[in-house]
Amino acid sequence: MFYLRLVRAQLEMSTLTALQYRLGFWTEGLLGLLWSVIGIAPLFVAVEHLGAVEGWGRWELVVLTGCFTVLSGTFTALLQPALRASMTHILKGTLDYVLLRPADGLVLCLTCAFQPWHLVEVVGGLALVIAGLWLGEVEVTAAGLAAGLATGVAGVVALYAFGVLVLCASFQALQLQALTHVMEALMDFGRWPAQVFPPLLRVLFTFVVPLLVMTSYPAEALLGRLSWGTVAQLAAVSATLLVVARLAWVRSVRGYTSASS
Amino acid sequence: MFQRAGHLTRVMAAVWRISLAEAIAYRVSMLMWVLTTTFPLVSLSLWSGLAASGPIGDYARPDFVAYFVAAFLVRQFTASWVVWELSAQIRSGDLNTLLMRPMSPMLYHAIQNLAALPIRCALALPIGVLVLTLTGGLGWPSPGSLLALGLSLTLAWLLNLGVHVTIGCVAFWVTESTALFEVWLGLYLVLSGAAVPTSLYPAGLAEVIRALPFHASLGFPVELAIGRATGAAVTHGLLLQALWVAVFGALATVLWRRGVRAYEGVGA
Repeated sequence: MFYLRLVRAQLEMSTLTALQYRLGFWTEGLLGLLWSVIGIAPLFVAVEHLGAVEGWGRWELVVLTGCFTVLSGTFTALLQPALRASMTHILKGTLDYVLLRPADGLVLCLTCAFQPWHLVEVVGGLALVIAGLWLGEVEVTAAGLAAGLATGVAGVVALYAFGVLVLCASFQALQLQALTHVMEALMDFGRWPAQVFPPLLRVLFTFVVPLLVMTSYPAEALLGRLSWGTVAQLAAVSATLLVVARLAWVRSVRGYTSASS
Repeated sequence: MFQRAGHLTRVMAAVWRISLAEAIAYRVSMLMWVLTTTFPLVSLSLWSGLAASGPIGDYARPDFVAYFVAAFLVRQFTASWVVWELSAQIRSGDLNTLLMRPMSPMLYHAIQNLAALPIRCALALPIGVLVLTLTGGLGWPSPGSLLALGLSLTLAWLLNLGVHVTIGCVAFWVTESTALFEVWLGLYLVLSGAAVPTSLYPAGLAEVIRALPFHASLGFPVELAIGRATGAAVTHGLLLQALWVAVFGALATVLWRRGVRAYEGVGA
């Protein structure tokens, strides 16, 4: 309960800060949505030449793009600003003031900044998912919806776990703000269906950098193509990542020298 | 006159040494940037996988390999990151230090970009060569077209620099211009040929896309490198590149001159 109130207070504070820049509210939010949608172009080029991409038709790709947009919106609204702010704390040595507070340091770090306007992307992404399912005339079963939600949650958990690992890396090497850019650029491959990737990359993007857990599998689940076994497997992947991330965080904080550098 | 030129050369050499030292000091950061630009290689595996059952448009499987490896290398050779530094310097007031130095801050930024080139090559060339040996060869361009390729790469680099300075200078008036650059980057990824060769877009649309500055900064040098642009297409492409360089060069100059005048120097 305490943590719920804490997170709410933190988010409220950064929303108020963000509201000072009202122009950004519209430009960044709407533009973010536009970019997520424009990125579908290479996929459509492939569909145009091939008819379907590894069994994904036009509207199914729209569903996939919707899932991607929701996820990238979550990333740019919640995770990326928090990671950047925390990395600056580490770089400058001001992480001390965060760690000293009477609450879990990781929770404080992950909620210390928030860009609410990017939530426009999340809403737009959901609209895309619904539009794709509607126009593709896909019958979504209750089981499919449940599986989609479960994989979606697993995807967001995996995203956060990966973000924490990146944050831990920045304890070791400074000047790693660039890493959030790498992450952003990497996430772009989440636009493509899992089947397109060669086996090695598919393993890499499922278990090491869990991109496909975040976008491709939730879309498949919604389309009713995913077995419960796979869903359980994906949940296990993201749970493992979460544990690893937490351990890495504990270790990194122990090694944190607090000297500004 | 000669004295002045000699002085300038010495200053440039000094900046080069500083920038090289900086680039070496932040190797990890540099490696990260190189890593970001390796993404054409993932696109490579995607498209060559899709082309496994037959060519897509006029690109067969080996063509995709050559295309994306060349795209990776071209991006390394023509990279610029002035916009991040310039807009941060304008916002924080750090530009003051640069303005005090006995050389144009623009020249400083340009040399800084050039100074990182040797390290970028050292990091990127092995990756490119490795991929090529793993996937089987790239038709090297003929010696005659090497000259055109060099010219095209230089123009692409100048174009990138011009765009970066132009967008960076917007920060003189709005303090935060990196958001504007994100817009550019979003369009760049789709329209430059980084994600998909621009000639694969539907006819009609492709011609429009190929006339834009995005294609001039990446797609055209790549096509030149893999021998897809020949004859009149080469001169046409080079002219188009020169045109865009002139446009963005002029824009950058005007914005920079007016911006420095509007600059308050206190930071925000």
